Amino acid sequence: MLKVGMIGAGCIGSLHSANWQAVKGVKLATIADINSDKARTLAGKLGLRWTDDVNSVFRDKSIDIVDICLPTVFHKEYVLKAAKNKKHVFCEKPIARNMADARAMVDACKKADIKFMVGHVVRFFREFIKIKEQIESGAVGKVGVVRTSRCVGFPRFSPESTAWYSDFEKSGGVVLDLLAHDFDWLRWCFGEVERVYGRGLAHKALKEHIDYALVTLRFKSGVIAHAEGSWAEPGGLKTAVEVAGDKGLIDFKSDGAKPIHVSIKQIGSESAAVETPAAALTSHFTLELQEFADSIIENRLPTPSPEDSMKSLQVALAALESVKTGKVVRLR
Amino acid sequence: MIKIGILSFAHMHVWSYATCLKKLGAQITGVYDDDKMRGKKGAGQFEAKYFADYKKLLSTDIQAVVVGSENSRHKELTVAAARAGKHVLCEKPMATSIEDAREMIRACEENNVKLQIAFPCRYSPAARCVKQMLADNKLGKILAIKGTNHGRMPGGWFVEKGKSGGGAVIDHTVHVTDLMRWMLGKEVKRVYAEIDTRFHKLKIDDCAMITMDFDGGIFATLDPSWSRPNKSYPFWGDVTMKFIGTNGTLDLDLFNQKTTLYNEEQLKAAWTYWGDNIDFGLVKSFLDSITDNTPSPVSGYDGLKALEVAVAAYRSAKIKKPVEVPFK
Repeated sequence: MLKVGMIGAGCIGSLHSANWQAVKGVKLATIADINSDKARTLAGKLGLRWTDDVNSVFRDKSIDIVDICLPTVFHKEYVLKAAKNKKHVFCEKPIARNMADARAMVDACKKADIKFMVGHVVRFFREFIKIKEQIESGAVGKVGVVRTSRCVGFPRFSPESTAWYSDFEKSGGVVLDLLAHDFDWLRWCFGEVERVYGRGLAHKALKEHIDYALVTLRFKSGVIAHAEGSWAEPGGLKTAVEVAGDKGLIDFKSDGAKPIHVSIKQIGSESAAVETPAAALTSHFTLELQEFADSIIENRLPTPSPEDSMKSLQVALAALESVKTGKVVRLR
Repeated sequence: MIKIGILSFAHMHVWSYATCLKKLGAQITGVYDDDKMRGKKGAGQFEAKYFADYKKLLSTDIQAVVVGSENSRHKELTVAAARAGKHVLCEKPMATSIEDAREMIRACEENNVKLQIAFPCRYSPAARCVKQMLADNKLGKILAIKGTNHGRMPGGWFVEKGKSGGGAVIDHTVHVTDLMRWMLGKEVKRVYAEIDTRFHKLKIDDCAMITMDFDGGIFATLDPSWSRPNKSYPFWGDVTMKFIGTNGTLDLDLFNQKTTLYNEEQLKAAWTYWGDNIDFGLVKSFLDSITDNTPSPVSGYDGLKALEVAVAAYRSAKIKKPVEVPFK
């Protein structure tokens, strides 16, 4: 049984902790956070050990896997610690804030001969898997134009997270934090990107807790893709995908694909509190973490591979460069 | 009663304009069409006289014409109508080149006739409502717009470059560009486009992704692709716009008032639009501007500015770089 130590008890940390418990072949052993209240609260809910000494997780000989659930700028430091201490490492997306860090992380893990996977969780969303399968089965013929959309309100999980998400140098805004998901999925489906042109608000509105970006990708295969990323949309996450080909079209909107929609009458008012609980037998986070566990147990590359995560970052950084300079950015 | 001549039924929208004109009490007295069959059919349907020569139609006592020919002939017919002193309602895109568009504007100005470009989307009650909401600052400051004008591949002269001037880009860029300009009251200053032929075996573009920068830093994208499957898609296409403002977002889907039909013989679902007929407002505004002698509500300049974006998109895709507008 592989033992997991989690670093970071914030939003993604609390999601992962619940999901690690459903992964076969592993056991979540400890939760670490420099904020002892957060670590204690989350670990307490699950009846686990906790610590505010995050380095103790790396020293702990019984820990096989470290799960880095920290803000982007800390990814490199902690992944390198994992490599140094020969612990397999799972890391939240995006892999890093810049290419040099990403490369150092990938190289260190390779050298240490440990498994390394980045949480591009969209690859584990059933709708995105199904769409990819349909494309591969030829259902839409040759793909012409693809549109993706990922829209949500500004992340406000805690005052600390709001602070780093609104700092462009730390988060990279929607292009890096949100569109990284779609860029990774698009690369998974359509291969490598040739050039990128994007527009976004990161440089002028991120500080005021708004970001929005529209990015056009041209793939080597000729496919044209348009990705929308928004932290300007009040309300819960909405995603959409449209894949148009010469034989057909796939259309998906998360808003129209909810199996449950609940409206609760508010006392003294006819306006309803609306809930749309997710309803799936297995969460995409469980599937994602299971893939990583399996890659260790079966001693193989995980999907996405470290190279995949690096290339997806490259696309996001190219989009950011285009947003900043206004120019077309070609990928090398 | 205003007497109108139709200069070609080549564009399918003209049938709808003619129907609206008749409903509004205008009289269609003459029809010119280089396709005799089509022209005679139109003349018969609207109880008008068929003319094989448009010059003869222009020498009758009509006050105005509807130019509905192939795009490449808009200039010839508009200039001839202007010189004959007839007001012009011209189908979009206004022309196939900037030079032609400028010549049309000049001819109509010199001859003191009205030139209106057929951008019926401006007459959608939903679009008018959104324009008002923006004017009322409902969304705060507008930061970005995401637009689409998808369609099926129309075939016919639309895919012959000599007649249409281009494919999906020239066909489907101008409507939403015009809506953006009209709603924002701002002009496009830079255009970038990826353009290709990926859906049909054609020698003309059938898909694109266009990015525009407006004065004041607003950016927008527009997908003008003929990407709706011709046989299986339940509708002709769409006109959508999403607005991002400092206070919130707004989604506009101009033709979303529709029902879905599942029919055993059609073997596909079909959407039926039941919203207002936007052509009616367009045609009425044209007649009103003649009766009241007021400026064209959608001018030749509006047509030129929308065309400019389409032309810039083609240039951009060719050089693979953003292109500045207006052209020098």
